[in-house]
Amino acid sequence: MSIEVKNLVKVFDEKRVIDDISFTVHNSETLAIVGFSGSGKSTILKLICGLLTPDSGEIITSEGDTAMVFQYSALFDSLNVADNISFALRERKELRKKYSEKDLREIVAKKLELVGLKGIENKFPAELSGGMQKRVSFARAIVTEPNSILYDEPTSGLDPISSTLIEDYIVRLKEETKAASIVVTHQMSTITRTADRVIMLYDGKIVFEGTPQELLRQETPYTKQFVTASLEGPMKMIA
Amino acid sequence: MRALQKYYKQSATYRIFSGIFALLEDFLNTLGQITIKGCQFFKALLKAHIDGKELSEQCERFGISSLPITLSIVGMTSIIVASQVANEMVKQGGGHFIGLLMTMLIVREVGSIMSGFAIISMIGSSMASELATMRVTEQIDAIKVLKVNPVEYLFVPRVLSGILMMPVIVILASVVGVLAGAVATAMTTDLSFRAYFESAWLGIYMKDLGVSLLKGVVFGGTIALISCTCGYYASGGAKGVGLATTKAVVWSFVAIVIWDMIFSIIFFF
Repeated sequence: MSIEVKNLVKVFDEKRVIDDISFTVHNSETLAIVGFSGSGKSTILKLICGLLTPDSGEIITSEGDTAMVFQYSALFDSLNVADNISFALRERKELRKKYSEKDLREIVAKKLELVGLKGIENKFPAELSGGMQKRVSFARAIVTEPNSILYDEPTSGLDPISSTLIEDYIVRLKEETKAASIVVTHQMSTITRTADRVIMLYDGKIVFEGTPQELLRQETPYTKQFVTASLEGPMKMIA
Repeated sequence: MRALQKYYKQSATYRIFSGIFALLEDFLNTLGQITIKGCQFFKALLKAHIDGKELSEQCERFGISSLPITLSIVGMTSIIVASQVANEMVKQGGGHFIGLLMTMLIVREVGSIMSGFAIISMIGSSMASELATMRVTEQIDAIKVLKVNPVEYLFVPRVLSGILMMPVIVILASVVGVLAGAVATAMTTDLSFRAYFESAWLGIYMKDLGVSLLKGVVFGGTIALISCTCGYYASGGAKGVGLATTKAVVWSFVAIVIWDMIFSIIFFF
């Protein structure tokens, strides 16, 4: 077990955005969380990585770091790529004295190579394309060898080819790090190419849990509506 | 009952009082945030690893980049005051007190408060918008997820640079102010530079210099702390960045005027 969520509840303005949700993600497993916008997908990630506090319920993660790849990369725009990647190693108290400048340079080069980028250490985020920024944020996320990695819509806003590339790196990072991964996404290609299991959220609750293949079979009204992107069905969009 | 409630909510009384309470809530909320971040800053200062490079960058930004405008504002304020007062004092036979008056005025008040206003508009607003942008682009969330203390990383170098650099700015601004006063006096009256400076020298008290330096420390720290806090708690997109910047400027202005009043009561009452 790497991430276990038990009876999680989060309330915003008297609305239960997350309503008694439980699931488990094991090591070397990727769980995709899907659902309409505003269904609480990103809130779950923020609760797991500690940016939000649950109103009730429990989140148990294995010892070690939980990394997060943000929707818009969230790279530090005043730092270059190398400093972005080595940020945690330079600034965290327990890691600060552990690495020399030479070690840091080697780690940065290795992580950049892992995400298919070489020789961009001195570039600033504004000089990179959206896909490259995303991959740098992958490298920054894995620099502390995390036990779990959370991806918040990692392919949103990217062209189809860049999306495929990012999806490949999600799979590759899972294989390399053996981390438990959670991918919040809307894109079917990201679900089918990266996830081992899928949960679908609606109105703060899990309305489907299964494999990507089971999702595609459209055996429930929820999966049918989601896969066919239909306005007709049990899930009502709040305009 | 519901109809009554609906009617009541549309009434002018309800709107006025709900508006007042919303303002009061926002005021107390901001005051609480600044107090909490202030306490966290002092706690972090005791145990934080201070990055010399980051601190020197912030000191350069706080002190050096703002210096031309700050000195110009204090110098011009001094010229405005001297050009209006000097001629009148000479007419009334008090020409030999112009230097003393200008020095006391500048060292006690103009040097510190006008520098504070200049720093708020240049550096405070820039700090607030920088942190607010980091907040709305999730960079502050990324700092937290990477398990780095945002107060140590963002607040300590900025607030410390304010505490260290503001006294230096106040001293330089006061010197420029006294010199500008001399030029304005010479241009508007027949009083010589020598007479001005002989009188100016008498207006320098160690107590005034000490209070002026202390004001620099407090104003610098306050401006940086308020600006960082307002930026840190920004929400929303571009509008949120704008609102946080405005809030930082308004709160900083009011805070340093209140501090100035407290200093006047304590040291000169």
